[in-house]
Amino acid sequence: MSARSFRSVFMVASCAGAALGCYLVSLRVASERSALEGVETQIVTTQRDIRLLQTEIGTRGRLAQLERWNVKVLALSAPSADQFLNGSFELAKLTQPERHIDIQAPVVLAAAPTPERNQAPIGEAETDDSGGPAAVSRDSLLHQASLKTGSREAPAPLAVTPTPEPVRTKSTDRPVAAAKSAPKKSVDKPGLAAAKRMTKPVRIAKTDPLAPLPGKPARTTARDTGSDR
Amino acid sequence: MNAPTPALVAPRPERLRLVGQRRQILAVMHQRLMFGMLVFAGIIAIIVLRILWLAAFGDHAGRKEGATSFVPERGDIVDRRGQPLARTIDAWTIAIHPSKVIGDKLALARQLAQLMPEHSEEQYFALFRSGKPFFYLRRRASPELVEAVNALGEPGLAIEREPDRLYPQTTLAAHVIGYTDIDGRGVAGMERAFDGYLSDARTRGEPLTLSIDSRLQQALEHELLDAMTHFSAIGAAGVVMDIHTGEVLAMTSMPQLNPNAAGQGSDEARFNRATLGVYELGSTFKPFTVAMAMDSGIIKSFGKIYNCPHELHVYGHVVHDTHPYGRQCSVAEIMKESSNIGTAQIADQVGAQRQKYFLKKMGFLDPVAIELKERGRTLTPGSRWGPFETMTVGFGHGIAVTPMHLATGYATLFNGGVYHPATLLKVDRNHPVAPGRRVFSEDTSYKMRALLRLVVTQGTGRKADAPGYRLGGKTGTAEKLLNGHYTSSAVVTSFAGVFPMDEPRYVMVMMLDDPKATAETYGFHTAAWNIGPAFGVTVSRIAPMLGVRPDRNREPDMSGVLPFVHETKPEE
Repeated sequence: MSARSFRSVFMVASCAGAALGCYLVSLRVASERSALEGVETQIVTTQRDIRLLQTEIGTRGRLAQLERWNVKVLALSAPSADQFLNGSFELAKLTQPERHIDIQAPVVLAAAPTPERNQAPIGEAETDDSGGPAAVSRDSLLHQASLKTGSREAPAPLAVTPTPEPVRTKSTDRPVAAAKSAPKKSVDKPGLAAAKRMTKPVRIAKTDPLAPLPGKPARTTARDTGSDR
Repeated sequence: MNAPTPALVAPRPERLRLVGQRRQILAVMHQRLMFGMLVFAGIIAIIVLRILWLAAFGDHAGRKEGATSFVPERGDIVDRRGQPLARTIDAWTIAIHPSKVIGDKLALARQLAQLMPEHSEEQYFALFRSGKPFFYLRRRASPELVEAVNALGEPGLAIEREPDRLYPQTTLAAHVIGYTDIDGRGVAGMERAFDGYLSDARTRGEPLTLSIDSRLQQALEHELLDAMTHFSAIGAAGVVMDIHTGEVLAMTSMPQLNPNAAGQGSDEARFNRATLGVYELGSTFKPFTVAMAMDSGIIKSFGKIYNCPHELHVYGHVVHDTHPYGRQCSVAEIMKESSNIGTAQIADQVGAQRQKYFLKKMGFLDPVAIELKERGRTLTPGSRWGPFETMTVGFGHGIAVTPMHLATGYATLFNGGVYHPATLLKVDRNHPVAPGRRVFSEDTSYKMRALLRLVVTQGTGRKADAPGYRLGGKTGTAEKLLNGHYTSSAVVTSFAGVFPMDEPRYVMVMMLDDPKATAETYGFHTAAWNIGPAFGVTVSRIAPMLGVRPDRNREPDMSGVLPFVHETKPEE
C-alpha cells in the first residue's frame, strides 16, 4: 500500500532526476562548446596577428628593397649562358685541380727517368762530396738540360753513360747556365753546385737521390689529391 | 408585517429569476477565471519550455558569431606564387572630437604639432575652433605615434583601429593592382575591376590570384626604370606574356606609382601606359604585315624580291628609310634592316580590306581584351583608310595601339597563329585558358620565327641579343605627333621580342616614351640604341626565372632566311 501510494512521488522524483541529469549534460556540452569557441577565436586572432607580422616582414623585405641592396652592395647579376652546364660531367670538368708548378717538385719529376738510376754507382762517390742528396739530384737535372743543348756536340754521347760525358766536355761553357738555373731553386745550393762543377766534372750521383726522388713526388701527389677533394 | 421566510413562502418569480442569473454569472466567472488561469499557465509553460530549450540547446551569452575562420574586410590580392600584393590590415587611426576636449586646447595643439608636424600649431588650433564635431588627424599611424598621442591623456582624442588597404610591395605592379579610395572601394586596376569579388563577404575569404609573377615584375620594372632614367624618357611601359595562355606575367607603366599613397602621385604616374596609353609603335608592326602577306599567298618565300629605292614616291607622298638599300632586296633583307619602303609595298599588295580583317581578328581595332577597366581605344585612319594609309599602317604609322595590343599580337603570331585574349588572372582549374581563334596559319607562324631571329642576329635588333636565349624580335621607332606635326625630335621607341625562338614561349614588349640621345648612343635615339640593350639585359635576367635554359648551340631553323640575305656581314 505504502509503496503504491508513494509511487507517484517516486515517479516525479525520478523524472526530475532524469531532467536534471539531462540538463547537467547539456550544460557540460555548452561549456565545452564555449571553450572550443574560445580556442577558435584565439586561433583567428593569432591568424590575424600572423598575417600582420607577415605583412610587416613582407613590406620590410619587399623586392624593391632587395633590389636596392643588390645594386648598392651585392652587385649580383644575371647568369650568362656559359654558366649553365649540361650535367655532372661538365661540372666535374670545372672542378679539375689547377696544376700549379712547385719549384722543387716538378723539376725532379721531369728529370727522373729510370736510366739515370743506372748511373748511380758512379755517382756514389759524389754524393759524399756534396753532402746533400737533394743537391745531387738537381745537378743531375742540370745535366739533362745541358744534354739537350749540347746536342750539337755529337761525339759526346758516344760514352756508355750519356749524361756525365757531355758535362765534362762542356764544363767551361755550362757553368753559366748552371749558375743561372741553380739560384732559382734554392739559396743554399748554388755555391756548392758551382764548386762541384769546377772541381769535379763527373757528377752522376744516383744511389742516394733515390731516396729524395720518390719523397718529393709523394708530397705533390698528396697535395693534388687534397685539392681534388 | 412579518416578512414571510423564503422557505415558507413560495419564491416570487423575480427572485427565482435572480437566482438563476447569479448562477449563470458565477458560471461565467468561473469560466473566465479558468480561461485566465490557463492563459497564465500557458505563458508560464511557454517560458519554462523556452528556458529549458535554451538550457539544453541554446547559446550562452558570450558566444561570438562566425569567428571560426578569418575573413578580411576586403579580399587579398596575391601573385601567381601566392606572394601578397594587396592586403587589408587593421591600422591605427588618430582622430579628435574637439567638443570633448577637456584640457587647454592651445597646449594640446602645441603637443600635436610636435608629434605630427604635418600641420603647424596654429593650424591645429584653428581646427579645434572650427566647430566641426570630429575629424581625423592621422590615418595609418605608426604604433610609436599612437603610444605618444595616447600618453597625452586627452579624452577628446579618439584612437581606433580601422581596416586599411596596404600594398606591401609598394610600387611593384601598381598599375596592375590599382588602388582604393579612402572608403576601401577600388578605383583603379584590378581593385576596380574585381571590386565586387573583393568586397563580397562570400568571396573575399579567398584571395584573388593574379597571373603576375612578382620576381619578373621586379626585374622588368628595375631594368625599364634604369633605361628610362638613363635616356631621360618621360615614360615607359613593359609587358611580359605567356604566348600560349595569354597570361600577363608582368606589366608595368612608368613613372612609378605608390598605391599606398596614390593621391600623392602625379597624373602621369597614375596613367597606365601599358593598356590605356595608345602609341604609334612603328616598325614593330612590320612582322604582322609580312605574316598577312604570307597568309594571303603573296609572299611564298622570304626570297621574294622587292624594289627598294632610296625613297619611294607613292600616292602623292614619299616614304623614307633609315638604312636605304637603293637596290633590289628580299623580304628577309627588308625585315633585317627594317625597310619602310619594302614593307609599304608588301602592305600595298595585302590591301586595306585584308589588313583590316587581320587587324580586327588580332583584336587590334577594339579596346585590348583584358580584365582591367583602363583600356585604351585604338586610333586608326578610320574613314581615310586608303591605299597610302594601308602602307603606313603596314609599317606601324598612322595606327596607335597599346603596348598590350602589341604583346597580344606577337603572342598570336608566334604561338601557332591563335589569338587568345590577355588575362591578368592565373590560369588554373578555376580559370581555364580563354578559347582562342585562328588568325594566322601554323606554317606562317613557324616561318616567321626565323625572320624575327634574323633581325636580332644580323639586323637592327643586334644590341638586344641575349646570348643563348634565342631571342627574336623587332625594333620600332615612331615619331611623336606634337602640335599636329610629326617631329623627329620626340620619338616612341619600342622592342617586341619572343624567346626562345626555336620553341616560342614568352613574349615581351618594352617601350620608352621620348628617350633622349646620349653620348654613348652617338646622338641616336632609335630603338636599337636605347630600348634594345635594355631588352637584352632584361631577357637574360627573366628567362632563367621562366625556366628557359640558355644554350648557345641551339637556334631556330634559319634556312628559310639566311640564303636571301646578301650582306651577311653586319656593318657597324
